[in-house]
Amino acid sequence: MTSFQHPFQSLKLVKRQSQGLPNVLVTSAGPYIYSYAAESGQRLAVWPEHIETSGGAASAPASTSDDQAPPEKKIKLSSPENESEDNPSTTTDGPTNKSPAWTNIPKVLATSDGKHVVALTAEDKCIRVFSLSDDGKFKELSSRNMAKKPCALDLTHDDQTILCADKFGDVYSLPLIPGEYIKPKIQAKKAKPVATTLTVHSKRNLRSLEQQHLHAERAEKAEEVQEEEKAALNFEYQLILGHVSMLTDVIAVSLPGAPGSRPRNYILTADRDEHIRVSRGIPQAHVIERHCLGHTSLISKICIPSWAPSVLISGGGDGQLLVWNWSEGQLHQSVPLSDSFQDSIVSGIWDVSLTSMLVPLGLLASPQLLCYTLESDNTLKSQGVIQLSGNVLDVASIDSHGSVLVSVDAVREPGSTDMWKSSAVSPQILTECLQASNSDGSLKWTVNEESRTACINARGTSDLPATLDAKQKKAIDDTLYNLGNLRKRTFDD
Amino acid sequence: MATQVAGKRQQREEYRRKIQEQAERVDGDVSNVKMPKKRFFRQRARMRTPISPAHMDWASHYPAFVDPDPSKINLGGTRKLIKDVEVVDIGCGFGGLLVGLAPLLPDTLMVGMEIRVSVLDYVRSRVSALRLKQQVLKKTAAEKSTNQTPSETPTVPEDEDDEVGSTTTIVPGNYENITGIRANTMKFLPNFFGHHQLSKIFVCFPDPHFKARKHKARIVSESLNAEYAYVLKPGGLMYTITDVEEYHHWGDEPTEGIRDLWELLSEEELDADPCVQVMKFETEESKKVTRNNGNKYVAVFRRKADPEWPA
Repeated sequence: MTSFQHPFQSLKLVKRQSQGLPNVLVTSAGPYIYSYAAESGQRLAVWPEHIETSGGAASAPASTSDDQAPPEKKIKLSSPENESEDNPSTTTDGPTNKSPAWTNIPKVLATSDGKHVVALTAEDKCIRVFSLSDDGKFKELSSRNMAKKPCALDLTHDDQTILCADKFGDVYSLPLIPGEYIKPKIQAKKAKPVATTLTVHSKRNLRSLEQQHLHAERAEKAEEVQEEEKAALNFEYQLILGHVSMLTDVIAVSLPGAPGSRPRNYILTADRDEHIRVSRGIPQAHVIERHCLGHTSLISKICIPSWAPSVLISGGGDGQLLVWNWSEGQLHQSVPLSDSFQDSIVSGIWDVSLTSMLVPLGLLASPQLLCYTLESDNTLKSQGVIQLSGNVLDVASIDSHGSVLVSVDAVREPGSTDMWKSSAVSPQILTECLQASNSDGSLKWTVNEESRTACINARGTSDLPATLDAKQKKAIDDTLYNLGNLRKRTFDD
Repeated sequence: MATQVAGKRQQREEYRRKIQEQAERVDGDVSNVKMPKKRFFRQRARMRTPISPAHMDWASHYPAFVDPDPSKINLGGTRKLIKDVEVVDIGCGFGGLLVGLAPLLPDTLMVGMEIRVSVLDYVRSRVSALRLKQQVLKKTAAEKSTNQTPSETPTVPEDEDDEVGSTTTIVPGNYENITGIRANTMKFLPNFFGHHQLSKIFVCFPDPHFKARKHKARIVSESLNAEYAYVLKPGGLMYTITDVEEYHHWGDEPTEGIRDLWELLSEEELDADPCVQVMKFETEESKKVTRNNGNKYVAVFRRKADPEWPA
């Protein structure tokens, strides 16, 4: 029996024309990153390498399934300090590691010059930077474990800084290429209660304060003052701004400034509590310029089309898309989704630049892509719905002729987050190619049967384990469809 | 009022217990199985956070300041005010600071924000009672002046005096300029107030969150500072008072961001500010600290103008 394969969680076209190199498609599926030649769909490389099986994926399903067993849910990581203390900027490519410390890679980014790829591995909360060689091979340059789970990443305009928005609502900046890191000398601070008898009022608190003092004294006598630096991260990073709510998306963007002055950089952050915040870019990220308030439920995605940097499109769980003139903080347009999508959560908004400017919109666990064009007056115009063979996971435009690659989930039934298909087919459909054509002012979409997608699909990804219990299945489902958990529960009667 | 609430709670508990019990003695008669009644499960609706400041219903909070033109309506569909709210007490507790400040700034709209429902209920009742007394006092004063009958005793008996506010004399503003709302300010401050709207923010005796792990929960923190600066006008003031020395010194080694946005007021400036006196002595919490012989650490920050964009 053929087993299911990990669908592509993330697609990213790395443009390298400026360097005279062919474009590369970088994808993530399960615990691996793959690179493909964008023209032909030929696989170029996979990271980490040790799982490479010689034949096609279908030929050796059993041999890989051991490696694929999902790790325990909570992985106690080996201390990140040991891992990279001796050599902070490089880590060994891990062929010796039997199974990686993560099961999925939710986000893949690339620098605009196409030389570097940034990937986020989920369970170890690790931001990894790779260099992409001319022939599309990955070389891991650095791995940095964050303290809190990163929810969204972006690169600043100059490609020098990674912005990491986390579950605690904070945004950190990290240099793309970490420099020599010198551990700041922290004086061994004695744990001393800061509360005094003057600041606590209740009897119970007073008693516990007494205990704390006793404990502190005893510790002092025993010279038990050990350096506790487990929370400190061993690389350069900076907290640049913070919400008091889980962040869902972050965008760094640059607008042309006044004539004769430098372009102005901004950071936009969206959170679970309906806020979109517009802050200045580094180093003035503490200056909030404005808020874009209008959503009535969580915001899951924000998107600034590359060709219209002053337009912001945001979507979430409230059944509408909002179009903003974000530099003025003005709501430009509100686009209600049709009734059948009212309860869905927007899972992706992608800017695809074609002959006309296009914004496809994906919904959580839906095999349909809603299509819009951004008109010249910066309003969205609906262009109908495209039906795909499985739930849409990610979208990337791969050439300038209107070809759009869509990664689809062929493991689960279309429209469901947890109903697995009864049996796998080989080769499994991983990607579909859509071709847009403009006829009489309206867009036509055709599913393009082309050799590229056939090539990608035939090569396959890594296999999901053949036998999974319900709990393991759910864990895998959650890696792809976790947005539903962000909805706030209401207790209305 | 307290007894009434307790009675309600008792009724509910009794009712729910009965509903539970009926499962244990099921007999053949369908009609004996009662469906639960919503009446006994209702909870006070949570404060609806406005979508944006333009959606906030302030008119019901400041009836004396509603714009006389009824056609002026905000995005939430409620009447506009003739002026904006300018002073906020974050974590106002029982509202002592507001009541103390009300006569000092009679023409400034002030709001206390509190997350605890019953405490906020108290603030609202306190404000409406104070307003009512002012109305009665004004009425009797007006009668006095027309009837020319001197030496009338005050209508309000002394024993139910307010801790801070005045119940026997007419004060400027008549407490029409203060109110309380329920809100989680840490999350939703920009939903209530726009860019550069406020002139003063008070944070009095915040929860110190002693554990380092909990420092993210502190209401005065580096990342929240950006939000306070967003709602404050340039030149606006942020008042903080605490009895925990460590908390007071959080800004001693200011990061670039804090230095960029705030400057600390000098001791002389603090002494000259009547609001500081109110903050030090009139809030319930400060009285508690006084009783406890605790220290009070006051720090007031002035919001600077936004820094220039990097050229």
